[in-house]
Amino acid sequence: MTSTLDALRTELRAWLADNAPKDWRAASTHDQFAAGQRDWFARLVAAGYAIPHWPEPWPGGGRSLAEQKVIYEELARADAPRLLLSFVSTYHAFATFAECGTEEQRARYLPGILAGETWCQGFSEPGAGSDMAAIRTRAVRVAREGGDVYVVTGQKVWSTMAQYADYSLLLARTSDEGARQAGLTYLVMDMKAPGVTVRPIHQIQGDEEFAEIFIDEVEIPVSARVGEEGHGWAVAQATLASERGLTLMELSYRMRGALSRLAEAIRAAGRENDQGIVRDFGRLATRIDAVCALADRFLQKRMDDDEQVGDASIVKLAYARCLRAYADLGVRVSGLAGQLHAPITFGDLNSGNWMADFMNSYAWTIAGGSDEIQRNIIAERMLGMPREPKHWTLAESKP
Amino acid sequence: MTVTCEELRDSAQKVFPDWEAARDPAHSWQTISELGWFMLGVPEDQGGLGAGRGELAVIFAECGRVLLPGAVIAQFLGVEALAGAQDFAGRESLLEAAMAGELITTSLEHAGSDAALRCVPDADRARHVLVRQAGEIALVALDGAEISQTPTWDLSRRLFDVTLAADARRTILASGDAAEELGARLDGLLSLALAGDALGGGQALLTMTIDYLKDRRQFERPLAMFQALKHRVANLKAALVTAESLYYGRAGASTDAVALGAMKAHACTAFRQIAEDAVQLHGGVGLTAEYPVHLFLKRALLDAALGGDADYWEEQAGRQALAPA
Repeated sequence: MTSTLDALRTELRAWLADNAPKDWRAASTHDQFAAGQRDWFARLVAAGYAIPHWPEPWPGGGRSLAEQKVIYEELARADAPRLLLSFVSTYHAFATFAECGTEEQRARYLPGILAGETWCQGFSEPGAGSDMAAIRTRAVRVAREGGDVYVVTGQKVWSTMAQYADYSLLLARTSDEGARQAGLTYLVMDMKAPGVTVRPIHQIQGDEEFAEIFIDEVEIPVSARVGEEGHGWAVAQATLASERGLTLMELSYRMRGALSRLAEAIRAAGRENDQGIVRDFGRLATRIDAVCALADRFLQKRMDDDEQVGDASIVKLAYARCLRAYADLGVRVSGLAGQLHAPITFGDLNSGNWMADFMNSYAWTIAGGSDEIQRNIIAERMLGMPREPKHWTLAESKP
Repeated sequence: MTVTCEELRDSAQKVFPDWEAARDPAHSWQTISELGWFMLGVPEDQGGLGAGRGELAVIFAECGRVLLPGAVIAQFLGVEALAGAQDFAGRESLLEAAMAGELITTSLEHAGSDAALRCVPDADRARHVLVRQAGEIALVALDGAEISQTPTWDLSRRLFDVTLAADARRTILASGDAAEELGARLDGLLSLALAGDALGGGQALLTMTIDYLKDRRQFERPLAMFQALKHRVANLKAALVTAESLYYGRAGASTDAVALGAMKAHACTAFRQIAEDAVQLHGGVGLTAEYPVHLFLKRALLDAALGGDADYWEEQAGRQALAPA
């Protein structure tokens, strides 16, 4: 077992030495960044490292969780770009079809993913953020000559890199009856279909990682529905459970690797003998190690089939808070110089552009279930503290 | 080694279900001696059980969970020193007696502090004290020594100042390079023991606090229903689990004194946060001597101060991480 892992590590390390992009941080436009992502994904697919979590006989598939861990450790170690553009397609879309899709859907969509088609997620809405069941985008089933379609109208937001996506995983409301979750249906939307408009969101650090999707009477064939009508909520759980802890492990390791950037900043500011800074740096370095150990332990629990509800929330919360602390110390050390605007690096959370890193770190305390939602999960579902009553009444509306 | 971490944990929880069960120092000491805890870390060819630091880590956390009284940590250091010492006449019988529970005490201050013997637990009932001084580690008889108890806020430990008799019998355990090597091992073990104590205490206190919040009702609902309190508890849980991961991760893998010291600082900070919040979350009863919250708070703050505090270790860790590779 260990020797298999060692062999994989050796082989991958050698491959990365020759193939890992070195100059990816130089991308100065979104399009350059996207082109670099596509190229890197294609090379990983060809070499058999892009989809280790897919089953055989997909090329490079059928890897154990322990092997997947080795792959992400080595990608982090080589400081190769993270696979951001293909993340939703290889994880979210794949898991959705693997668990809830039909054989026809797998045959139709999965080969395209390997060929570089990219996907985005259409779950959140302006009125449905943490409260995803509040989704209002409506899908109405209508008869057409070539077969029934859903006519979909609504708006999605916080969709990562939707401006580059070929397809969207979409949650829409098909009914207002019963529980809010029971009225949701899961669809695949072609982003080139008439009626789809994408508008990138300008973020505070200058990136456009997220986008809004406006959906105006878009027709989606019933064959592109995943699961039964009204079962969308359950299908979405399969989508969201697909990351399996590897992402946070990879990010934690990358943050540890990027401590050297903070050390450089401290030396550059001439503060390597400033006791307060040295202490805070030592505390941060220890905390980052602790987060890495936590992510390792979580993956180990998954490998042992011992995961408990709330475990994933603790890892995400711990990572997100630590990432903020990392960027915060960078901002502090960089002083006034750090307040002078510098061009951002795309796809790097620990770039050493401290203001950009600091603002970027909010993506992890808000997206994918905010810190507050994670705390609720930990308190209620892990520690058994009772939920608040569901219904409340505005004081003014009382007679 | 045939005992697993789970078995150690189970047996500890069976004999000490909670802090009240461990409250009597003499009885607790006898119990853990009979369980063979002091033999755990000693190699099998020296009559021990040959357990690694990973197993010891479990035991230290169990000690903290029940606020185990007495000189347990000092005894582990004494046994480690005897097992790692150069050979001398009588070493075998001393080690055997120590493994069976005959107390060897030692200072729980960080060795770098100074040469005075302070913070020596239960010196009044020990025959020997382990002393570290200028390139030498020695076992010194306490006959004729001047010992005086220094009352502490923490009621679960009794600490003493010790002034050795001028003609006290000294046995050198290690000197020169060997003393340095053994000293680093003892530093690491002290950090590990205090970190484990903190995490076990933190875990017990957090559980107790959550139970209290579920039980206590105000405004016609349990306090545990208020989100402001849930979020504080969730933060404490995350801090605890993160610190535990570092603890069990480094316990068996790291021998670097600074890495273990920084880990100790991280663990003690987590316990401290839990203890400080636990008093607040218990409200008025958290201020009463009747409730056990204060016992944990005081132990948390003593753990944080012993064996080098967070300011010291964080600075060391920072210097190490900043040093050019």
